[in-house]
Amino acid sequence: MISVADLLVNDRIPGNYFATDAYVRGDLELGILENRQGDRLLALPSTLIQGIYSGLEKETGQASRLVLFNCGRWWGKNFYNRFAEAITDYYGISLSDMPMVEFLQALQQCWITHGWGKVDIDQTYQPRGFLVVKTWNSPFSHLAPSSEHPVCHLEAGILSAFFSNLSRRDLHCLQTSCESMGADCNRFVLGLAKRLEPAETMITNLDHDAIMQQLCQ
Amino acid sequence: MHPKIEAVFDDAENRYLKPEELGVLTQYVDTLPGRLTTYRALRDRELEIMQPVADQLVSELPGEAVATLERCIKNAILVLRSCALGMLLEDEALVQQRLEGWLSQSAQAYSSTAIDTVLYRLLEQQLSQVLGSQQMALFHPMFSLAQRLLTVEEEEPLTAATIGW
Repeated sequence: MISVADLLVNDRIPGNYFATDAYVRGDLELGILENRQGDRLLALPSTLIQGIYSGLEKETGQASRLVLFNCGRWWGKNFYNRFAEAITDYYGISLSDMPMVEFLQALQQCWITHGWGKVDIDQTYQPRGFLVVKTWNSPFSHLAPSSEHPVCHLEAGILSAFFSNLSRRDLHCLQTSCESMGADCNRFVLGLAKRLEPAETMITNLDHDAIMQQLCQ
Repeated sequence: MHPKIEAVFDDAENRYLKPEELGVLTQYVDTLPGRLTTYRALRDRELEIMQPVADQLVSELPGEAVATLERCIKNAILVLRSCALGMLLEDEALVQQRLEGWLSQSAQAYSSTAIDTVLYRLLEQQLSQVLGSQQMALFHPMFSLAQRLLTVEEEEPLTAATIGW
């Protein structure tokens, strides 16, 4: 026997917190975008993203990858805090107590609503200490200048900080496939920096599966 | 606001509304009392609708874990509430935006599509009994949209462009 009345705590059932129409709010008079918590959202025009890439390349050359990665780390740390706060407030459960399926669903909807494309987690290599995150249709990949390397350094930084905060271990993130190089999706491998280190040099000549095979040997 | 009415007001910036445009508004106003009554019925009789559905679901699927069934029922209540709001505002887009992707993803994540199929069949039967044909006619388009969203798989990745940014 299931009592429907008992299922309705405070007569409220949490749904999709990140539903676009409910999450994104704009004020035309003030010219601002806000989320449903009242935090400011920033719309990034594609020319600005392209400008950041080319400006950084000009100013810092090869180091631009590291700059973007570190910016991503900073972004990811704040993103994690906001995400955790929103989830805890809305679903009434802390991120660490949330079932994996629900966490993933919230993260996926959050990713979509922020216009970052689609995200998924591949747990195949989790027993070996690696987590693979896949993203599709990333604006940071589409707008990056063409390169022989994967280009989503900003996202790699975001994911590294996000999952480090989530797991309370310092994790590094390495991109192993990139839409900008014709791959079906962007793949990011998360793991301890020491264990990921050998893969740094494999990126240019090995594909994702081969890199994972080498890492898991 | 109702998207069609909003469009009518936008178009009629410097002129009077045309008869067909007023027709849209008239239709909205004429059906509003019915929609309000239906909304009130759904709100006030939610337990009366859902409890028999839950009981039947348990008896039709005795092998399923209670926690799984409870999760499905909670999602169905959420769907019912979203559909009720969509019906009140005569706005299918609202139901679509609230449930698209999320609903089918929930069903897939918990492999509950088979349970949901039974649940929505039972819910539809119960709604027909409680609401009656006139109110059901107002509510049904939203409910069948939600049923479609439950099983639809996204064909392409959702991005800012596909959600109209």
